[in-house]
Amino acid sequence: MINLKNVYKEFQLDENVAYTALRNVTLTIKEGEFSSIIGPSGSGKSTLMHIIGLLDKASRGQVLVQGKDVKRLNDDELSTLRNEFVGFVFQQFNLINKLTVLENVLVPSIYARKKLKYDPYKKAMYLLERFGIAEKAKSYPNKISGGQQQRVAMARALIMEPKLILADEPTGNLDTKTGDEIMKLLGELNKKEKITVVIVTHEPYIAAKTKKQIRIVDGKIV
Amino acid sequence: MNYITFLIKSALFNFSRNKGRTFLTSLGILIGVMSVVLLTAAGLGLKKYIQTQFESIGTNTLRVIPGTAIRNGQFQGGPSSIGTIRFDEKDLRTLTRIRSLENVAPVFTKNGKASYGKETKFADIYATTSDIFPVLNFTPQYGKLFTRSDSIKSSKIAVIGPKLAENLYGNAKDAVGKNLKFENLNYRIVGVTQSKGGGGFGGPDLDSLIFVPYRSAFSFNPDKKFLTLAVKVKQGQSIPRVKKEITEALLRRYEEDDFSVFEPTEILSALNSIFGTLNIALVAIAAISLVVGGIGIMNIMYVTVTEKIKEIGIRRAIGARKTDILYQFLIESVILSLFGGLLGLILSFIIVFFVQSVFPAYIDLPTVVIALGVSTGIGVIFGVFPAKKAADLTPIDAIRYE
Repeated sequence: MINLKNVYKEFQLDENVAYTALRNVTLTIKEGEFSSIIGPSGSGKSTLMHIIGLLDKASRGQVLVQGKDVKRLNDDELSTLRNEFVGFVFQQFNLINKLTVLENVLVPSIYARKKLKYDPYKKAMYLLERFGIAEKAKSYPNKISGGQQQRVAMARALIMEPKLILADEPTGNLDTKTGDEIMKLLGELNKKEKITVVIVTHEPYIAAKTKKQIRIVDGKIV
Repeated sequence: MNYITFLIKSALFNFSRNKGRTFLTSLGILIGVMSVVLLTAAGLGLKKYIQTQFESIGTNTLRVIPGTAIRNGQFQGGPSSIGTIRFDEKDLRTLTRIRSLENVAPVFTKNGKASYGKETKFADIYATTSDIFPVLNFTPQYGKLFTRSDSIKSSKIAVIGPKLAENLYGNAKDAVGKNLKFENLNYRIVGVTQSKGGGGFGGPDLDSLIFVPYRSAFSFNPDKKFLTLAVKVKQGQSIPRVKKEITEALLRRYEEDDFSVFEPTEILSALNSIFGTLNIALVAIAAISLVVGGIGIMNIMYVTVTEKIKEIGIRRAIGARKTDILYQFLIESVILSLFGGLLGLILSFIIVFFVQSVFPAYIDLPTVVIALGVSTGIGVIFGVFPAKKAADLTPIDAIRYE
């Protein structure tokens, strides 16, 4: 599903100072996997996730998404892939505060270019129901708890029925109990709906809940 | 929630959260649109006013004046424009002999004090003949107009306009038979004319005129000269040919540059072209404020884009294309500009409504359409650079922005 071959990512911090976030990363994420990328902060795991999620581009090396070389895709095609193929869940939830919970969930469907086979509104309500936050549909994100916000973010990630969920420290801003619940939901998505789930975390405890761990230290897979 | 309502909702939310800023930004467009619309309305009103003034005078008439002030429908300057000659009774006889003319009225005008008892008004007196009435298309409302024989005699009788009659006698009807003093001359009023409307703003107030037989007014016209010969052409005669006949008749006595023969409508078109040009210049100057308003919008849109970098990143991460972001900010700047334009238009309508009691300014449909179109255009033109900046942010830089 996703193949990275000898990927490097360098940031030009200053005229003379370059920082290498990823060094020669080669990895494969197979369809249906429930895996985690684990490493200490500054190890390059978020950068790796951004590259997998098509938010960022590799400096060198090859990134294949479903066999397609990302380098050959233009901005619109990448946007479409982010829209249809990937669902993001972020540490800071990243909801749009001026939109209601329901509207937030619907945003990806507004940007959809393909004709959806289902009614996005019904789908959104179903997801909110499933995550136990249907009664918050008309609320605004800043009026609900962190755990609820993360559930909204997950509903948003799922509205386009993606093949891949990328979760960047999804439990990072939540207490342990709420975090465990989110992890449980992610596990269910993988198990019941065969969605590939990749979690980025620095906590071994969270990584242990996934079936495959990819360790990264100083930009290298170990 | 479809795509467009979604974008509009996003924009409106932003405005409701920044009410003061939104209002101040659209104020620039408001002032710009208002000044352009009001000046256009004034120009339209002026045009309409001039038109009604001349329409009320009647068609199929010509004027002969000294000098070359009007040639080919244009006003002319220069030393010859005022003219040195004055017409006299001999010229009057010359024109009267032209068969294609129905009426020839000599006119000597003077502004002075008209009074009755304690009431005094400034008014224009037309020392003329009874021929002036058909030429100017005047009919009596009360009493009668003086006749041709009255004109030849130096009868001290007068026909006055209804507005002057009302001002001096309280009631237009009561004026008939009363005395009227103009400067040091005493007249008896024999008739009051029908109202012509108009008046004010420097144009001739056709409802406040005094008509007297010209021979009765030689005391303030000692040279027995006329400033204008106003003629009415017989039905079915070609105006250019009659013009030529008059010119040829007068050329026996005067030089070509001594006098002009023209239709009153030529003044109309000349005035219209002068005011039209003036109005375009004024509107163009006012349009500068629209550009300034647009710059204000551009400025605020750059601020908005900076404030929303994170949101742009989120939208890009969940599938928004560059064009989606571009449209989002373009719609915002267009709404902002259109809002100002609408407010400006509404205010203009209110102002014009109140001004209409004294001046026939009006706003026509093309003005409304253009005002709204220009507002939209400004939103697009000045919004496109900030929107482009927003769209060109890389998703990763945008979403990491704090």
